[in-house]
Amino acid sequence: MESTLLVRKIDHGTVIDHIPAWHSELVLRLLDVDEIKTKPNVSLISLNNVPSRKYGRKDIIKLYRYHLSEEDANLVCLVFPTVTVNHIEDWKTNKYHPRIPESILGRIRCPEVSCITNLSREPITTRFSVLPEFKALQCKYCDSLLDFEKMPEYVKK
Amino acid sequence: MWALVGTGLLNRDVISIKDFSREELKQVFSTAADVEKHPRSYRNLFTDKRVALLFLEPSTRTYGSFEASAVNLGCKILSNRSASLTSIAKGETLHDTIKMIEGYDTDCIIIRDKHMGAARFASEVAEIPVINAGSGSQEHPTQAMLDLYTILKKRGRIDDIKIGFIGDLRYGRTCPSLSYALAKYDDVEITFIAPPILQARREVEIYLQRNKVGYTKLADPREVIGQLDVLYVTRIQKERFPDPTEYERVKGSYIVNLDLLDLANEDLGVMHPLPRLGELPSEVDKTGHAWYFTQARNGIPIRAALLYLILGGDIGKHALG
Repeated sequence: MESTLLVRKIDHGTVIDHIPAWHSELVLRLLDVDEIKTKPNVSLISLNNVPSRKYGRKDIIKLYRYHLSEEDANLVCLVFPTVTVNHIEDWKTNKYHPRIPESILGRIRCPEVSCITNLSREPITTRFSVLPEFKALQCKYCDSLLDFEKMPEYVKK
Repeated sequence: MWALVGTGLLNRDVISIKDFSREELKQVFSTAADVEKHPRSYRNLFTDKRVALLFLEPSTRTYGSFEASAVNLGCKILSNRSASLTSIAKGETLHDTIKMIEGYDTDCIIIRDKHMGAARFASEVAEIPVINAGSGSQEHPTQAMLDLYTILKKRGRIDDIKIGFIGDLRYGRTCPSLSYALAKYDDVEITFIAPPILQARREVEIYLQRNKVGYTKLADPREVIGQLDVLYVTRIQKERFPDPTEYERVKGSYIVNLDLLDLANEDLGVMHPLPRLGELPSEVDKTGHAWYFTQARNGIPIRAALLYLILGGDIGKHALG
């Protein structure tokens, strides 16, 4: 069963492909969904646990009539390295080549429980520097490290 | 005091020692030396300034030396010494607490909080300078300044130093701050001496690697003590060990006593941020190795110098006087 049989191709928008199976919800939490919701013509299709030749099973998110920002695409690809982001225009697919961001604002929680950013009542947004050579993020408040591979566990709710 | 005119430290936050250049630290040290030499000339210079001491965790030396320094400079003190006595106990946020303190026409906030990153956050909330007097197990930048000042006074230089940190390097805040500070100097070799469970945190190692500072990690101080210029001792805390038998097994290795110091160079300096428990017995006090009481006393000139430089104001006039 191919995923293309489940949902038809889109002519405009973004396809976020090769998301680890059952992780599309986390990807949506990483995206600026409030911004997406302001667009009345946008449709969002989320497919879970569809067959994948490369990974066995995968999730796919299709954003019809919405182009994912570079910032969001870079973040999703950093947190989920298997993900590919394709921009579709007039049925043509352009694969986005992600860049590693220098910093990440919000979206990710600090792993250090005693970090000030984990006090829910404080009006504070998390900030991380990205340290590619150490494959980790570093909290700009408490200096704690978060390995790239552990980032999915710390996506903000 | 000529160096104080045009100082880059006027109205500066002191959040992490990493934020300070070697040149700025030199300004602090030369001012501290002047404070020690001419204490009277620093009295009552800032009678129109108010300093808030917001200490939400216990403190003896840091609180005392900041308070004494501010009083000597003539500042008025607004003091909060316990989270349980502030509206934080009622659920008020640190954000609002800082806003309130700033609203009392305060010129500087000195904060100690158990939360890592609290001082950084406070400095973003406040428009006035914020000094970090200890942020959980993260950092203690003014302790690092007085540690460097102690090394400078005792050795005549900070460069070209072999230093060992021993004890609880994972949860203590003095070891990270002094390690970051030493990364600004040349030919520094650091040895972290602790069981794996209490070894230096990875962010400290990464900072040293990025700044090309040589360091090694060991479990037994006898392997290295003979090569060290300074041994920095920190309290080893029993409650950090998940297995009490592991603590019993290793605790003796981290007692810096005369037997261990027999293996050291004659001019090895032993430092400790204090308070101490059993890791540094009083038998060491009378030896030439004991730098720690001098180190503690250096808290006053360093914190006075820092406040003096930060509060600045009519400093140029004073410098010319």
